[in-house]
Amino acid sequence: MTELILTEELLLLLDDQEGKSLPVQRHSFECAMAGAVLLDLAFADRIDTDPETLLVIDDTPTGNPLLDRVLSRIAVLESPMNTQAWIRLLEDDVDDIRDEAQAALVAAGIVARKEERVLGVLRAVRYPAAGAGLVGDIKRRLQDVLADDIPDPRDQALLSLVDACGVLGDLFPERNLQDDPRLAILRRIDLIGREVAGTIAETQRSIIQAAQAEASRLGRFRLALAAAASAAVAVTLFAPRIPLPNRYGQGLAERLWLDGTWQEWSGYLLLLLSLAGLAVALIVKRRLAFRVARSLQWRLAHFAIGVGCVLVLFGHTGFRLGANLNAVLMGCYLVVLASGGLSEVALRILSRLQVVGLGTPGKRRRALVRLHVLALCPLPALLAIHILTVYLY
Amino acid sequence: MPAKVAFPLAGIALLAAVVVATTVFIGGDRRLLLTGRTTDAHHQLETSCETCHGEAAFADAAAAREALNRSCRNCHEDALDAAADSHPRSKFRNPRMAAYREKLDARLCTSCHVEHRPEITRAGGVTVAMDFCVACHSEGEQDVRSNRPSHAGLAFDTCASAGCHNFHDNRALYEDFLVERADGPWLASAPVHALSALAGRLPQPADAALSRGDAVAPDPALVNPAHLDRWAASGHATAGVNCADCHAATVGEAASPAAIETHWDDAPLPTVCADCHRRQARSFVLGRHGMRGHPGIAKPRDPRPALERVGLGDLPEGVVNWLSDPSQPESVTVAEARLPMRAEAARRSPNCTACHGPHAVDTRRAAVEACAECHDDAHTRAYFGSPHHERWQAELAGTAPAGAGVSCATCHMAKSERRGVVTTNHNQNDNLRPNEKMIRPVCLDCHGLRFSLDALADPALIERNFRGPPEAQVRSIDWAARRPIDPSHGG
Repeated sequence: MTELILTEELLLLLDDQEGKSLPVQRHSFECAMAGAVLLDLAFADRIDTDPETLLVIDDTPTGNPLLDRVLSRIAVLESPMNTQAWIRLLEDDVDDIRDEAQAALVAAGIVARKEERVLGVLRAVRYPAAGAGLVGDIKRRLQDVLADDIPDPRDQALLSLVDACGVLGDLFPERNLQDDPRLAILRRIDLIGREVAGTIAETQRSIIQAAQAEASRLGRFRLALAAAASAAVAVTLFAPRIPLPNRYGQGLAERLWLDGTWQEWSGYLLLLLSLAGLAVALIVKRRLAFRVARSLQWRLAHFAIGVGCVLVLFGHTGFRLGANLNAVLMGCYLVVLASGGLSEVALRILSRLQVVGLGTPGKRRRALVRLHVLALCPLPALLAIHILTVYLY
Repeated sequence: MPAKVAFPLAGIALLAAVVVATTVFIGGDRRLLLTGRTTDAHHQLETSCETCHGEAAFADAAAAREALNRSCRNCHEDALDAAADSHPRSKFRNPRMAAYREKLDARLCTSCHVEHRPEITRAGGVTVAMDFCVACHSEGEQDVRSNRPSHAGLAFDTCASAGCHNFHDNRALYEDFLVERADGPWLASAPVHALSALAGRLPQPADAALSRGDAVAPDPALVNPAHLDRWAASGHATAGVNCADCHAATVGEAASPAAIETHWDDAPLPTVCADCHRRQARSFVLGRHGMRGHPGIAKPRDPRPALERVGLGDLPEGVVNWLSDPSQPESVTVAEARLPMRAEAARRSPNCTACHGPHAVDTRRAAVEACAECHDDAHTRAYFGSPHHERWQAELAGTAPAGAGVSCATCHMAKSERRGVVTTNHNQNDNLRPNEKMIRPVCLDCHGLRFSLDALADPALIERNFRGPPEAQVRSIDWAARRPIDPSHGG
């Protein structure tokens, strides 16, 4: 069997057995893939690095089309750049690098290409491993790196890339890597690995800065809407109901909450918005349409849809909980909306507060997002029951 | 997201959807699907949705609405006919009423009475705002405020609440009737409820009367002397109804002792009573006590045909039973009632023997004590010691003439007379809503119209069971008396 390059091994490690991606942030993935290609070139003795520059020492092709394409790109550049600059430059090519590496893995029979449809519409491709053996071998090598005194440089480099992606804990859940002194040492050894980690850290810093800049523009608007949505849910649960009209012919209120046709339309609008919100969430989660708009814009769309749901829900129910199964449906819906709104509040406000005993801000937000998704799970069935009974009785 | 939590949760919800679909299309308890609390009385029918929702599955809106309204008429149309409905459907079918129908389609019961909407359900199951008269009577030739100077400053939510008008039944409120009775005394000089008095005077067929020794029953049934004594003193014995006529109704008294013993039933069903007391039985199923026996109530669904359609006709009997609609008692139990009731009576059902007793068939006990054995509301408790109760006791004691007493049944189970036969209406709700329905058949025998209207418009007085004078004053009599007679107007 042909020996895998580091880039391909990294790709294998970043997917689970079914070919689903481990939770790696997009920019971390891009940096790690770019770093992996550079490391492959370094191990093939085609480039050399020092803290200031990355130099081509041999421009003979390696025989690997992917590496040779990157090598020729580096070789043609007259003024040398440092490693971090190359990582940033190669980030833009990561989709091609990934596709090429995946194609090579498929051709070698190491992974299979599986196409599937999300909700029967959106196309998603997975690359499940053909067997557990190879990935197991790679993981064993990484475990040896974590255990041995003298690590194999290639394995150590791979370990640093996985570590930079933040999924070392996912790969080795049985090991406590939080304060592992051995890992701390390993992180300092390899230059490219260190540069990858540094680039990721820098990218994260710049993202946070960008987010803060955006917060000054859109953040307040989002925060206000999130607070309004959360408040609306609180009103539903705790405030007295807005009384139904007690005078004949009281226009809008009578139509909204007592007229069957209006109820039908508001119900369908709510259903439509809910489906749209779900579709956008899937787009963000599966990175299905990032070429159309950035992740941030999709998230904003998801959030705007959520706020729209709150408004239409008010129009449909007057924030009345209803009875029996309708009350369960309404309860789930409110949890979805409240947890969605509060996770935004948590992101914007609680992240600045280190409240003792309430865990880290990230954990708090993750818990709310989990609640958001959990409450969403029964909704399709409950909605189906609701619609069925409305039309049957 | 932990898929190990999300997937089971979605799975449970999906399973719930399958269970619901099964209960909807095959059988099972569907009360979990109720979109809101059912109105009083109709809550007795909650497990038999088809009683009201008789339309085919996924029928279009118009067909579903029509089927729903047909269900209303199945049970309530006779009462509306008897009430000389002031707003009958026929009136609104007229094309000239199209403009009014646009505002409030009075052809449809559901325009004003919608089920499962407790937040907007008012007295009488009305779910439209109580000033609904404004829809048709606020402009044009129907504008009551310009037609009648007395109504000029009145708000439309007082039409029905002030004791002046009802949408359907205005038999005690017609203008002519008010004028005719405007000057009556509050209480007659010799107050007697005429039909109660007549019922007490009706001759009994003495030649058919049976005594204790005439009882025909298997020996084990004759060992209880108390049963025999009660029967011998009852109207049944006087009318010649022997033990076997009820306990072995399928063969009758004339059958051989062996046949009677073979067909003997220790606890005959109310249907046996209905064989002879047909009018009473017919009205009984129209009230809350007996409505579960109404022929219009949908029977529990048989799941077998639906199971066969989906290829599951061979399921074990236990599974089929599990998929069946829940069975309900033949008649409502006290525990199901929404009025205040006695806790110790929770398991009782208001059937024939519960009120009349199985052997004594005592109409006097049925008229008061039987009610108070279950009902425990303020009005019932206040009855004892009230002027009405005192007169009832005097009648029982023989110190007042027949019909002078006022029992629960006197007011709530109005009597009617046809060809010399007095029949008690066993629909005890018939004249309760609106309560002016009680005036003509009951109140006016002893009281003046003005007093009756005022008394029935005073909820506090009703709760005190008419101890003291009414504080409410219905002004409609004065307005009617002052209004110039307009022969073209029906009132």
